[in-house]
Amino acid sequence: MSETDLRYADVNRDIVRSLVETGPRYYITLGCAVGVALLCFFFPWFYQLNLGIGAAGMNHPQVWGTYEAGFIFWIGLSHSGTLLSCVLHITRSSWRKAMYRSAEAMTLFSLVIAVTMVMVHLGRPWFIHWAFPYPNQMGLWPNFRSPLLFDVTAIATYLTGSSVFIYMGSIPDFAAVRDRTTGWRRHMYTLLSLGWRGTDTEWHRLGWAYTLLAVLIIPLAVSVHSIVSWDWAMSIVPALHQTIFAPYFVVGAIYSGTAGIVTVMFLLRKFMGFEKYITELHFDNLGKLLLALSLIWTYINVLELFTGWYSGASSEIEALKYKLFGYYAPLYWEMILFCAIAPLLLASKRFRTSFGPMLWLSIAINIGMYTERFLIVGTSLSRKYLPADWGLYVPSLVELSILVGSIALFSTLFLLFVKIFPSVSIYEVKETLHEPAVSPERSGAAGSAAAGGDRWQPAR
Amino acid sequence: MTAKEPARKQEEPASSLAEKWREFRRPGYYQEFDYDWTMTVDLDRCMGCEACVTACKAENNLPIVGEKGFAQGREMQWIRVERYWEGEYPNVKLRFIPMMCQHCDAAPCETVCPVTATYHNQDGLNVQVYNRCIGTRSCAVYCPYEVRYFNYYDHRWDSPLEQQLNPDVTVREKGVMEKCTFCIQRIRQAKDLAKDDGRRRVRDGEVVPACVQACPAEALVFGDRKDPDSRVSKSLSDPRGYRVLDELNTRPSVIYLKKVTV
Amino acid sequence: MANIDRRTFLKLVGAGGVGAGAGFMLAQSIKHPVEHLIPYPVPPEEFSAGIATWYNSVCFMCPAGCGISVRTREGRPKIIQGNPAHPVSQGRLCSLGQAGVQALYNPDRLTTPLKRTGARGAGAFEPTTWDEGLATVAERLRALRANQQSDRICLLSEGVRGHLGLVFERFVEQLGSASLLHYDFAHPHTLYAANERLFGTQYLPYYDLEHAHYVLSFGADFLGAWISPVHHALGYGRSRQGRPGVRARYVQIEPRMSLSGAAADEWIAARPGTEGLLALGLAQRIVQKGHYRGADRDEWASKLSRYSAERVANDTGVPAATIERLADEFAQSRPSLAIGGSVAGGHVKGVDILIAVNVLNHLVGNVGSAGGLVLNPPPVVAPDSRRHQASYRAMRELAERARAGQIAVLVVNQTNPVFALPAAAGFSEALAAIPLIVSLSSFMDETTALADLVLPSHSYLESWGDDFPEPGVGFPVGAIAQPVVSPLYDTRATGDIILALAQRLGFAAALPWANMQECLKQGWREIYRRGAGNEGTDGFEAFWNSVLQAGVWGQAGWREARGAAVAAAVIDGLDVEEGGKPADDGHPFFLHPYLSAGLNDGRGANLPWMQELPDPLTSALYGSWVELNPATARQLGVSEGDIVDVESTHGRISAPVYVYPAIRPDVVAMPIGQGHREYGRYAQGRGVNPLQILAPEVEASTGALAWSATRVRLVPTGRRVRLLKTEGTPRELGRGIVRTTALHDIPIKVELR
Ligand SMILES: Nc1nc2c(c(=O)[nH]1)N[C@H]1C(S)=C(S)[C@@H](COP(=O)(O)OP(=O)(O)OC[C@H]3O[C@@H](n4cnc5c(=O)[nH]c(N)nc54)[C@H](O)[C@@H]3O)O[C@H]1N2
Ligand SMILES: Nc1nc2c(c(=O)[nH]1)N[C@H]1C(S)=C(S)[C@@H](COP(=O)(O)OP(=O)(O)OC[C@H]3O[C@@H](n4cnc5c(=O)[nH]c(N)nc54)[C@H](O)[C@@H]3O)O[C@H]1N2
Ligand code: SF4
Ligand code: SF4
Ligand code: SF4
Ligand code: SF4
Ligand code: SF4
Repeated sequence: MSETDLRYADVNRDIVRSLVETGPRYYITLGCAVGVALLCFFFPWFYQLNLGIGAAGMNHPQVWGTYEAGFIFWIGLSHSGTLLSCVLHITRSSWRKAMYRSAEAMTLFSLVIAVTMVMVHLGRPWFIHWAFPYPNQMGLWPNFRSPLLFDVTAIATYLTGSSVFIYMGSIPDFAAVRDRTTGWRRHMYTLLSLGWRGTDTEWHRLGWAYTLLAVLIIPLAVSVHSIVSWDWAMSIVPALHQTIFAPYFVVGAIYSGTAGIVTVMFLLRKFMGFEKYITELHFDNLGKLLLALSLIWTYINVLELFTGWYSGASSEIEALKYKLFGYYAPLYWEMILFCAIAPLLLASKRFRTSFGPMLWLSIAINIGMYTERFLIVGTSLSRKYLPADWGLYVPSLVELSILVGSIALFSTLFLLFVKIFPSVSIYEVKETLHEPAVSPERSGAAGSAAAGGDRWQPAR
Repeated sequence: MTAKEPARKQEEPASSLAEKWREFRRPGYYQEFDYDWTMTVDLDRCMGCEACVTACKAENNLPIVGEKGFAQGREMQWIRVERYWEGEYPNVKLRFIPMMCQHCDAAPCETVCPVTATYHNQDGLNVQVYNRCIGTRSCAVYCPYEVRYFNYYDHRWDSPLEQQLNPDVTVREKGVMEKCTFCIQRIRQAKDLAKDDGRRRVRDGEVVPACVQACPAEALVFGDRKDPDSRVSKSLSDPRGYRVLDELNTRPSVIYLKKVTV
Repeated sequence: MANIDRRTFLKLVGAGGVGAGAGFMLAQSIKHPVEHLIPYPVPPEEFSAGIATWYNSVCFMCPAGCGISVRTREGRPKIIQGNPAHPVSQGRLCSLGQAGVQALYNPDRLTTPLKRTGARGAGAFEPTTWDEGLATVAERLRALRANQQSDRICLLSEGVRGHLGLVFERFVEQLGSASLLHYDFAHPHTLYAANERLFGTQYLPYYDLEHAHYVLSFGADFLGAWISPVHHALGYGRSRQGRPGVRARYVQIEPRMSLSGAAADEWIAARPGTEGLLALGLAQRIVQKGHYRGADRDEWASKLSRYSAERVANDTGVPAATIERLADEFAQSRPSLAIGGSVAGGHVKGVDILIAVNVLNHLVGNVGSAGGLVLNPPPVVAPDSRRHQASYRAMRELAERARAGQIAVLVVNQTNPVFALPAAAGFSEALAAIPLIVSLSSFMDETTALADLVLPSHSYLESWGDDFPEPGVGFPVGAIAQPVVSPLYDTRATGDIILALAQRLGFAAALPWANMQECLKQGWREIYRRGAGNEGTDGFEAFWNSVLQAGVWGQAGWREARGAAVAAAVIDGLDVEEGGKPADDGHPFFLHPYLSAGLNDGRGANLPWMQELPDPLTSALYGSWVELNPATARQLGVSEGDIVDVESTHGRISAPVYVYPAIRPDVVAMPIGQGHREYGRYAQGRGVNPLQILAPEVEASTGALAWSATRVRLVPTGRRVRLLKTEGTPRELGRGIVRTTALHDIPIKVELR
């Protein structure tokens, strides 16, 4: 790493400062986020609960809309976070270390927002518990054949897995912060750190558990988005009933998730004062990843069009035509521009290492990816089998507001997170500090100063 | 556990769940059930008058959605008459097709409902349980016939129009899905009647859904396919029979009889 | 207790408040509407809670007179179905008939007598009592009668038959007035006249579709809103698939495809007004080919010689080969049936056109036989409702008399001429000159809005009545309408209002009944006494109860009446060339107003179900639209939703375009029924009324409005709206949704009935 002049104490200081020193800018931002979340998310949602789903723009036959698209989008965004962190952990890519905590947090909060979107989507969310299998008087169980139930299962598992993962990885840091704070924070971090002392055994067990979880989470993450895609692919709706959907969604998810990470990294770097930890290297690597993903994504998109066209079935072709040239055609081409064409810029290293352009590209990719989800939902159902029943769906103000509000809600959660969790991993960053200086067999060595600098060896 | 145990074991809830699962997986399990309610729609008789549409609204308490409801595309018609033009002026033809829930034996809507609010009952009907529905609307996405209608609002009737509501049928609240039930309340009534008369089975013609009852062209015939002498069984033997979107293999219980052209 | 300082306290209060607020909002938003259980400790005799009671009665939603069975629960009608025993409806019903419950429970019903308070037409009324209302009318009538001015009294009603018709007749007779008019926009004046001139019958014939093998309809939308749609549909269905080995063929000749046109095997858009010419072209071919075997064959041949297929082809726009083929098929597929009506009869020479059509029936010998045209016997009860039916000319005369101050009292019963007469008749202005207008309507319609006194009638579901359907079904049929619910409001049955007036005026000798029920009972005692086939019954009470229960009484059996002989000379008197004239340059399009399936002549517009019923042919609803041929639309540069002005010489209305694939390029069609200024929340201020701009052209012999003869021009306004409709893309795109099979492909072996 380039910041070899950093010392352990600096790391501790910088990161702990990010937790305890809260300027007015933070409060203003948090206030805005909370305000927007209340105004744009909760208020319209209550309105909709009161009125019925009629508050949204959905109709017959277009019964799914932006809420469903939002659900998929947030689930997608949740990928990469934990997934990327796991993959990089296992492949032991050291550049992961400065960014994985916030990436994992992104996963967690995206999942939370995704679940919230499901609640917003439901006609009667107050009965959502019926979708969970629990023994009850009526002897009624959910329908295990339903892809939606697969969803419930997969997302619940992923949510649990990623919460445990992020929490476990943070325990040594909580301990570090515990030792540097006073008052209620100290109490809180004492609780959170679960009595971490930093003994060899502790490091050893943490390493094992952490790697085990990482290995488990990778297939889980892949399965989550495959399963989410089955919500659609397992229907027989033209343009939705596609075998390519699972890989398509997984790639899309990682793609948008990675772009999301770039956005978050930029913001952390800029506003949390992490310039020293999040560097050009990170952007360069993420940029390469994005480029690869964009190419795969583009390939699958072309493939999707091809299979639709090749089927020769009027239903498939009309659905395609509608997507490409129908009411929402401008959005389709916007998506192509943002997700297939613009990312080609990533081929240039200069672009990859320029923070500003990377930010804009990452945002564009996510706009494009949201558009993709919207188009999949918003156009296919309008062109199903019976032409006499074709329709048009236009989202209502309530829906758009909830879309904006969900971003605010996400930001709120993230803003709270950065004040509770050390958003850059203290101990792992420290590991990187000595990298150039130490011999290869000690490369994994690091430690919390507070805990005496014990070393731990990740399992192989 | 002795070898005799399994017989008792089946009564236990856990294994009855497993039992149900196996039933789900066995294709055609519904064929073992009591009735196989079927409707035939003779397209050569149907002339598109929509008397069936009004009859269904009256019998099943369909809401009046208002001009705004239609403008938003939120109409409610458990049965609707679709129209398809063929050719151009002056050699132009208009074909009608009444479309209601096809009560598919392999219903895509049933598999997707996470809470089993829509399922296949012992009579081969695709049943909609309003009280159980949580409003995911996925069944409507999965239904290729677009016959599921969602309650976007709590619908109101301008007083005293609510007095026309049929007390045999519940009024649905916002957030639940609804669709043609084959007038299940009439089926239940006929079954009760048969039971009161000490009969085991309902006679042919005792169940007349509202749309069938109204149709002035007698295009609709309803009955039990299991009874070989029923009118519907006879009309099923008409060589004109076909199923809409048969290629999707949903195996509808509504059989259309082709329109005859000369 | 822990120390709680002020800040913590405030925080807790704040958090609690937010939590409670959120909880409250959530609870509010998911709560169910409040429902009240109504205890019924002593239920009326006729019902037990939870068990439906059925009453048989008669549908009065249109003049077809279908028999209905009303399902009531806890004393409230819930559903109207067809009465299976009634030969007209046979257990079936149309949409409008089923919507009868919405006429009963309509939120806009008039609930009490009203008298006008403000200026006429300003809509200001105040409730009054029946006593006062009846006294006012009786007083005025008595005074007029005493002053020998009875002819200044006019009773204007919708078409009524049966004993209510009789009560009207006697009442007007007792008043000494000759002014008893029935007005229904769609009354087929020209059809009556044509049948009378050709067959000498005063009644509409029965069209035996059920047994026909070939049906040729000239403009008559017999499956739509024409005359007796439910019964026609029954016949249609059975003629298509009800007979093993036989499937009737239908050919429809009309400028704009109607429901019947869509159902037909062949739809032919002949030039409007040339239907008679086309019929004679067919007749010529039939006679020429020797299909007519009467002794006066040669005479027919010579009279018809002018109408060769080639010549006719030119004016009608139907190719000669088609004419010849149709003629041959018609003559050879017997029993065949030619029906003429609605648009074909709505021309200046409408009667001649319909006679020409009927000539076809005569030539192939299907008058009076099964599968043909069956002449009906006179109805069992005498009132000649048809004689009272006012043509456009009669209504205009009424308006003129009113303007001249010759009408002092106008009693209007359930008819709405202000809406259903062209503005050219000047009817609403004429009403201004009438000192006392009394409306017996159940709704505040356009005519009632101009009344001084409103004595609201019961809905038909609350009233006693009877009906003798016209056209009948070939044999005498009568049905009793009984109240199926106790009156919801302070209204009275129309008959009872008239009888109450009669009592006040001292007409006890001629109208001795206290109420309609009594009147009916006496009338039916008469039928019972006269009736053949009643011997087996045990007395009148049993007969009465059995008719009430069955809802219908009839004497089955065909009347094999052939009517008067038809001489070939009839052809000489026919002028069927009208339509051949070139169009007026300034107004290049024919306006084709049609009765819409749900709204009928506008009476259905206040029923929410009818407003929500997609038009069967366009799926449009909740408004008006202008149907244009795609070529015409292209030529005008308009597409769906573009608002165009439709201008006749007598007015202008604007409505959005609907591009309709099955209409002649020189015709624009508009549905009748919308454009109400009054008539309740569902009807008001919606769409336009094409009747208002009709040119006041009349058929000469009957005075009937030639409502298919108006010419219009179209002016795009440049404004646009989204036309409300339910259809997406009405093309199959090769998906095989509605499948067809050629007749020769299928061995028809299944009997469906
Ligand atoms: N007078 C009286 N009132 C009572 C009670 C009583 O004993 N007497 N009991 C009370 C009790 S304990 C209960 S649980 C409630 C029950 O009250 P409800 O919930 O109203 O139950 P039901 O009236 O049996 O059925 C409700 C509706 O569902 C329809 N239906 C039946 N099967 C199906 C189906 O498979 N699918 C669909 N979509 N519809 C179906 C029926 O036709 C009916 O319209 O009533 C309560 N009210
Ligand atoms: N065919 C058919 N069967 C049904 C149903 C259906 O719709 N159709 N519905 C089902 C449903 S949802 C239900 S809830 C059950 C209801 O079935 P049950 O539980 O059998 O209910 P009831 O028969 O209404 O009442 C039970 C008894 O309680 C008595 N009772 C009343 N008040 C009291 C009291 O204060 N104390 C005591 N000890 N006894 C009292 C009554 O007199 C009656 O004898 O029926 C089920 N069975
Ligand atoms: S028609 Fe649609 S709603 Fe009905 S059973 Fe089939 S899939 Fe389900
Ligand atoms: S809308 Fe209701 S019935 Fe349909 S899938 Fe969802 S819960 Fe099941
Ligand atoms: S069977 Fe009953 S529920 Fe189904 S469309 Fe007909 S009337 Fe409606
Ligand atoms: S009522 Fe009968 S004829 Fe009319 S549209 Fe319905 S099915 Fe067709
Ligand atoms: S045709 Fe006329 S009389 Fe018959 S049901 Fe319809 S509205 Fe009533």
